[in-house]
This record gives sequence, C-alpha cells and structure tokens, in this order.
Amino acid sequence: MLQMNNVSKIYRTDTVETHALREFSLKVEEGEFVSVTGPSGSGKTTFLNIAGLLEDLSSGTYELDGRDISKLNDRERSKVRNEKIGFIFQSFNLIPELNIFDNVDVPLRYRGFKAPERRKRIEESLELVGLASRLEHMPAQLSGGQQQRVAIARALAGEPRFLLADEPTGNLDTNMADSVMDLLGEINSTGTTIIMVTHELTLATRANRNIFVRDGSVSDGPGDLQLAAVAG
Amino acid sequence: MELGPIWRAILRNKSSYALIALQIAVTMAIMVNAIAIIQERATQMARPSGTDEDNIITLTSVAFVPDADMRTMIDEDLALLRGMPGVRDAIATNSFPLRSGGWSMSLSTEPGPNSDGIGTAIYFSDEHAIETFGTNLVAGENFAADEITWNNREVSTWPATGILTRALAEELFPEETGSLVGKTVFINENDPVKIVGIVDRLQAPWNGWERVENSMLVPSRRDGEFQRYVIRTEPGMRDEMIPRIEAALAANKDRIIENVRSMTEVRERSYTGDSAMITMLTFIVSLLTVITGLGIVGLASFSVSRRTRQIGVRRALGATRPEIMRYFMIENFLISSVGIITGGILAVALNIYMVQEFALTPLAWYVVPIAMVILWLVGQAAVAGPARRASGISPSIATRSI
Ligand SMILES: Nc1ncnc2c1ncn2[C@@H]1O[C@H](COP(=O)(O)OP(=O)(O)OP(=O)(O)O)[C@@H](O)[C@H]1O
Ligand SMILES: [Mg+2]
Repeated sequence: MLQMNNVSKIYRTDTVETHALREFSLKVEEGEFVSVTGPSGSGKTTFLNIAGLLEDLSSGTYELDGRDISKLNDRERSKVRNEKIGFIFQSFNLIPELNIFDNVDVPLRYRGFKAPERRKRIEESLELVGLASRLEHMPAQLSGGQQQRVAIARALAGEPRFLLADEPTGNLDTNMADSVMDLLGEINSTGTTIIMVTHELTLATRANRNIFVRDGSVSDGPGDLQLAAVAG
Repeated sequence: MELGPIWRAILRNKSSYALIALQIAVTMAIMVNAIAIIQERATQMARPSGTDEDNIITLTSVAFVPDADMRTMIDEDLALLRGMPGVRDAIATNSFPLRSGGWSMSLSTEPGPNSDGIGTAIYFSDEHAIETFGTNLVAGENFAADEITWNNREVSTWPATGILTRALAEELFPEETGSLVGKTVFINENDPVKIVGIVDRLQAPWNGWERVENSMLVPSRRDGEFQRYVIRTEPGMRDEMIPRIEAALAANKDRIIENVRSMTEVRERSYTGDSAMITMLTFIVSLLTVITGLGIVGLASFSVSRRTRQIGVRRALGATRPEIMRYFMIENFLISSVGIITGGILAVALNIYMVQEFALTPLAWYVVPIAMVILWLVGQAAVAGPARRASGISPSIATRSI
C-alpha cells in the first residue's frame, strides 16, 4: 500500500541544512497498524508529513497505492489527501469557529458530496466516536479527549483507506488515551491501514508492528527490541 | 460552495466584522448619494444653451461717449464686426445664455394685474440675433430690419412683437395644440406682445433658474454705455478671431473692451460651482472607497494570519489552493454584502429624505446597483492579495506548529 525507497528530506535555511530523513525506506501493507517511535527530532513527524503528502521529499521514491507521488500536482495531491488519507493530530486541530457538525463536514465538502450524503456520514462517524449528541457544540466546549474523538470522526467520515496519526494521545491523560487507542484498534480491525507516531512505548505495543526511527532512518532491530523490553 | 459554514463562522465572530461592514455601509450610502448629486449636476451641465457655442465670442464694451453718440457707435461697431472676414454675424445685446446676469420679465396670456405671469429672460437685440446665436427658428418669422427700435431708460413703450423659445410658448399656452405664432401675450401687465416666431431653444442667462429654457428675443436695442457683443465666427475660426476682433474694436479709443471670452469659457465659468462640486464629491468618494478597500485588505490579512493553522488543516484535509482562496473571497463577499445592503437601504432612505427636504431628484434606478457592483469589486480586489497568500500556506503547518 505504502512504499518508500531511500527517501531523504533536507530542510535548508540560510545557515543550516537539516537532514530530517536520510535513506528512509519502508513498506506498509494494506490493513497494517504500524507504530513509529524514536527520539525527539529523529524525523517521525517528517516521515508522517511525507507519507501524508503534506510535504515534498528531497530525493528517493514514494509510491502510494502503486502511484508515484512525485508525479502528482498540487490539485491531485489535495485530492489524494482528501479521499485516501485521514489525519489525526496531537493538538486535535479542530477549527475553532465551526461547531462539531461543521468540523466533520469540512473534508466532505471538499470531496463534493451532496448534503444528505454528508449529513449521513457526519452522523455515523460521530456516532462511532460516541459524540452524536454534541453536533451543535463548539470545540472549546468539549474536553481534550472529546475533541480528539471529533478529530477522529472527521478523519474517518470520508472512509479513508489510510489513517495517519501524530502523537494522537500526546495531549490526553491516560484514561482518555486508552479510549482513543481502543477506537484506533477498532478502526484498524475494519481494514483501515494506520500509521501512528507515539512517544509512549505502552501505546506502541498496541500496533501490529513498530518501527524505530533514529537520525532520520529506520533502524532495524531496536524497535522490536524495545517493544519486547516493554512487554517483558 | 460552502456558504453555510462560512456564514456561521462570520456570525460567531460578529464583533470583528461589524466594524468593516459598517464602514462599507457608510461608504455605500455616501457613494450612492454622491453619484446621485454628480449625476444631477452633470445632467444640468449637459443641457445645450441653444447657441453655437463652439464658434461664439462674447465681450463687453464700456463706452465713454455722450448718450447721443451711443447709437452711432453701436451701429459702427456692428458694421465693422459683420464686415470682418471670418465673422458670420454679430449683435449687441443686454445679455446672452450662461452669462449669469440679465433681465427677466413676466408674461401672461391675459392683461391686467391679477393674471398669473410666467417668468422669462429678455434679450434686446435685432434681426441678426437668431443667426448670431445659432438657434433655429421653428415657426413664424424673424424680425424685419425696419422693425428694430431703440430703447432706453426714458423710453417705456414695449415693442409689440417677440420671438419666444418653444419652452416658453408652450408654458404660456399649455392647452393649445395648433400654432402659437400670432398669439398675443401681455408684458408689464397691459402691453401686448405678438408672438411672431418661435425658436427651438435659447437658454436664459441663469443656469440654475428653474425656467432656464424661457427666453424672449425683443426687436429693440438698448443704447446704454454697457453693451454686450455676441459674435459668431465661421466654423473653427473662433480662437484666431479673438485677437483680430479685439484689435479691430480697440481702434476706437472712446471705450474699453473687456471680458472677451469664448462661449466655451462662458459655459465653464457659469458652471464652476457645479464642476467643483463634482470634483470634490468624486475625490471624497474615491478616497472613502480607497480607505474602505485598505480596511478590507487589513482585516483580511489579519484574518489570514490568525487562521494560518486552520488553513494548513484545511489543506491537509483536502482543500486545494483555489478552494482556500475562494473561502476568503466568499467570506469577504458575505461581509461586504451585509454592509452594501445596509448601506443601500440607508442610501435610499437618505435620498427619500433629501428629495422631500431639499427637492433633490429621486435616485435613478441604476445608481444603487452601480454602487453595489463597485463596492463588491473593490472588496474582491482588496481581499485577493491576502487570499492568495492564504492559498500558499503549506499543509505541513497542521503538524508543525502548536
Ligand atoms: N520546517 C523545518 N525547517 C527546518 N528544520 C525542520 C523543519 N521541520 C523539522 N525540522 C527538523 O527536522 C528534524 C526532524 O524533525 P521532526 O519534527 O520530524 O522530528 P520528530 O521525530 O517528529 O520529533 P518529536 O518527537 O519531537 O516530534 C528536526 O531536527 C527538526 O528540527
Ligand atoms: Mg513530531
């Protein structure tokens, strides 16, 4: 489903060049739940941004569903993000001036769905995260856990095949984090491929597979080793 | 289209948009009324005077000769002028259209002190007046040369014939459908004046007068020391004739020539107030529009900066660049519309009030739509820059900044 070969990402400023990713290679199969761990600054978010078509890569190749991403223009990339990829962010990123209903509606409108179709999807996905009764609430009126659930509903409403999450529980307490993780597990069980960046090894163990990033590359071994250590 | 959510988002931030909407409303109200006033003035200025303005020169002759010699001097001057190559015709008169000073009388269809009079300007001149002014005789006849008399402060008999403008004749005889030539009107309460001819148009000297289209040519010349000469040149020769005419008249040292002006200049002087008003209103409205436009640019820039993160998130969720751009264009359109519609209502109300209080003409139907379109376009142009900037925000903002 996702295949990166020798992907590099270099951030250039006037004074420094940061090699955020070097020779990064990874293959993720359809239906997998992959966790990504690694030290701060190792390139996890950079990887996720490239995987989610939020940023360009500097060199290497990236194929998503067999399509070479580098050949897509901005409009086509937007379309891929909109239809195939769901995003969950650490800071929820709900739009503060829209109520819950309108927030979940955002990607559906860009998709071009008609009003009845959108309403159905919004209600179903909010139902799934247990917030169907909060349609009229504003984001600020919800707890962090509830906001993240709305964000998950927004990511799922378009039925993406691919869910990308960057520290989805980073701003939540343990209980809320657990329930969000349960939700992600459920979603994965319905066939959605998930890649989740996390700091917390206990959460990483919930995935089928962990990859450990260090200095911008996937380092073999340590990831599974660490998980084993945590598990043991 | 995402009108619904954009509109709801605006309503949730009412206070930050209310001020700009109000500014747009005020601009709209002022713009509409300014356009109405400009249009009214422009319409007035566009009225033809009934003269061949492009080829007419006017001047004042102030004589220092005994009264007895005045008539000779005028006759000699006119003979000189009419004989000059390049001059088509010339008259001595008490006034002429657009001069802003002149003589008015009241005419009625019945004799006696009680009859309702209709005001008209009087031009004392001779049988060359129609040709010199360049107006058209549409009915009846011109004066005959031997019909022309002299008239002054001592002579109180009123000439028994007159040539009227069509507007004046029709105002005097509104019911009459047949020819008005041959009808008699009364001046000075009891003096009869027979209408011998009708010209299509010859304005009174006062452009702001409600009866500006009423004037009467009288077959009599006044022999006072102040004479106004009106000279019509051959087409296209006006400007070169001015110095020649001045030189020719200067030969006679018993008087001075002043106020030598082309009719175009006379018209400009006559309407200076109106032109100044138009310039000032245009300036004020343009300034106001620019200020409002800048206000919109400022608010939109602020709004884009404030929403940087949200824009990144929208991009991550699948918005294309044009869709981001469109968001801000639509948002501006909605806010502008609130201001424009409020302002439009305000403007119409203000106009109704001004029509009642100051007898302003009612708004033409197209003024409000024109102002609306202008302000909508200004709004869209103002928001285009910030909206373009917004569309350039990277979707990676969504994961990067907290
Ligand atoms: N826009 C940018 N410009 C310059 N350097 C950047 C930019 N974004 C990231 N970097 C650098 O790239 C490297 C990788 O950053 P990245 O955010 O991918 O790390 P991370 O693994 O997600 O870290 P964390 O666990 O703290 O979130 C870091 O050194 C970071 O400073
Ligand atoms: Mg990160």
